[in-house]
Amino acid sequence: MGYLFDPQNWEWLTTDNNLRFLLEGFLVNLQIAAIAMVFSLVFGLLLALGRLAKLRPLSITAGVWIDVWRNLPLIFIILYLALALPAPWKDLYESNVPGFLPEALQSGRVFAGILGLVLYNSAVIAEIMRAGILSLDRGQGEAAASLGLSYPQQLRYVILPQGLRRMVPATVSQLITLNKDTTLVSIIAIQEVMRHGRILSSGFAAFTGADVQAPLLQVFIFIGALFVVTNYALSRVSRRLEVRERKRTGGTAGPVIGLEDQTALATEAR
Amino acid sequence: MSELWEVLSEHFPELSSGFWVTVRLVLISFAIAMVVGTAVAALRIAPLRPLNWIGGVYVEVFRNTPLLVLLFISFAGLRRAGVPIDAWVAGTASLGLYTAAYVAEALRSGVFAVGKGQIEASLSLGLDYPRTMRYVILPQAFRTVIPHLGSLTIAMIKNSAIVGVSLLALPDLLHQARLVNSRTFATNETFFWAAAGYLMLTLLATVAVRRLEARYAIHR
Repeated sequence: MGYLFDPQNWEWLTTDNNLRFLLEGFLVNLQIAAIAMVFSLVFGLLLALGRLAKLRPLSITAGVWIDVWRNLPLIFIILYLALALPAPWKDLYESNVPGFLPEALQSGRVFAGILGLVLYNSAVIAEIMRAGILSLDRGQGEAAASLGLSYPQQLRYVILPQGLRRMVPATVSQLITLNKDTTLVSIIAIQEVMRHGRILSSGFAAFTGADVQAPLLQVFIFIGALFVVTNYALSRVSRRLEVRERKRTGGTAGPVIGLEDQTALATEAR
Repeated sequence: MSELWEVLSEHFPELSSGFWVTVRLVLISFAIAMVVGTAVAALRIAPLRPLNWIGGVYVEVFRNTPLLVLLFISFAGLRRAGVPIDAWVAGTASLGLYTAAYVAEALRSGVFAVGKGQIEASLSLGLDYPRTMRYVILPQAFRTVIPHLGSLTIAMIKNSAIVGVSLLALPDLLHQARLVNSRTFATNETFFWAAAGYLMLTLLATVAVRRLEARYAIHR
């Protein structure tokens, strides 16, 4: 305990530009998370609709696709893609990546990392969204159909707005998981916060002329704290929105609700 | 196609030893997660504010920290700090404590699903708080959250690969697959068999949970 809180062991945080270096790494994680989130949500919705489609071959294909990707370890997928992705794909990414993104995101390996994150998370999110859509009363779709709405119109105006809203808490907790999982791309040598942390605590301080040694334990506790703060903030915001939404629409929770909002409603009710 | 079988027959010892390391890793971590998770859930719903607070901090810290960071702290971090921690201890503790936060949240929701009247009835029958927990609330809470605990177990099987990749002393399925791949360069074939191993485990867990659910689960 003495070791952990010894001010000497935290001195590294305020010397040189160590703090800045870590935060720059963390920004790379957040950017990867943001890119992967957008694509996962879009593809997740498409996969969910595919699985729910009336066309048998389409629903079976989407179902198998979802079940395979969602049952494999994400780190497995990322490592496999980094090894097996054809070079032209990586080149295509490298020549098209926007220049304003930091250097760490310019490498073709990042494409393997982001693709892995999207393949896995879109499959998980597809299942969440499908559960949300299925939890709706059947009558909703039938009523919309008998009012003369076409299938796309039923989805757009009746089914998706209600079904997806129910699944906001579960989706947000998956997005928090995604945010944590961005650390896995460090395994394929992308320079993000884990790699920056290892560089700081690698013991090279003596060679680089830095006066203060950064102990590994403290560096990674600090990195953990960065994630805790970000993810906690994300979950608070979503809970707030959820409870407010419930109050506004006056709706009660359906049979399929995420854990988060069960607890949110329970604490709200006290 | 023949190469697919060749990789399996030539490297079966490595792959199967990795498979069993994964299984052992998951089983030990599962035990830790259930025990610690139950304790934390009890803290969170205890009739004493400071205890609630401690449980809440545990959940928020362990649920929001990446598993990889926990592994770095518990193995390399502690070792550098002079604590000679074993790789198995660090790996199973990290995975177990990480999952415990989710288990605690699941159980808590299960407890909320037990009617308030039951708790009041139990207390008015003269059972004290620990006994109410033990005989009335927890048995029902566990049965309500079987499906949820099942999906946590599946997540744990997948997360065990992170442990294997970051701790070299824990050669799990993914770790062995990487070794075989570095010797054979048969990436597709090697990873195919590793994927088969993981899918087998997750499928097995899914079937087991469905069985348990059919027998014990309470649907509210």
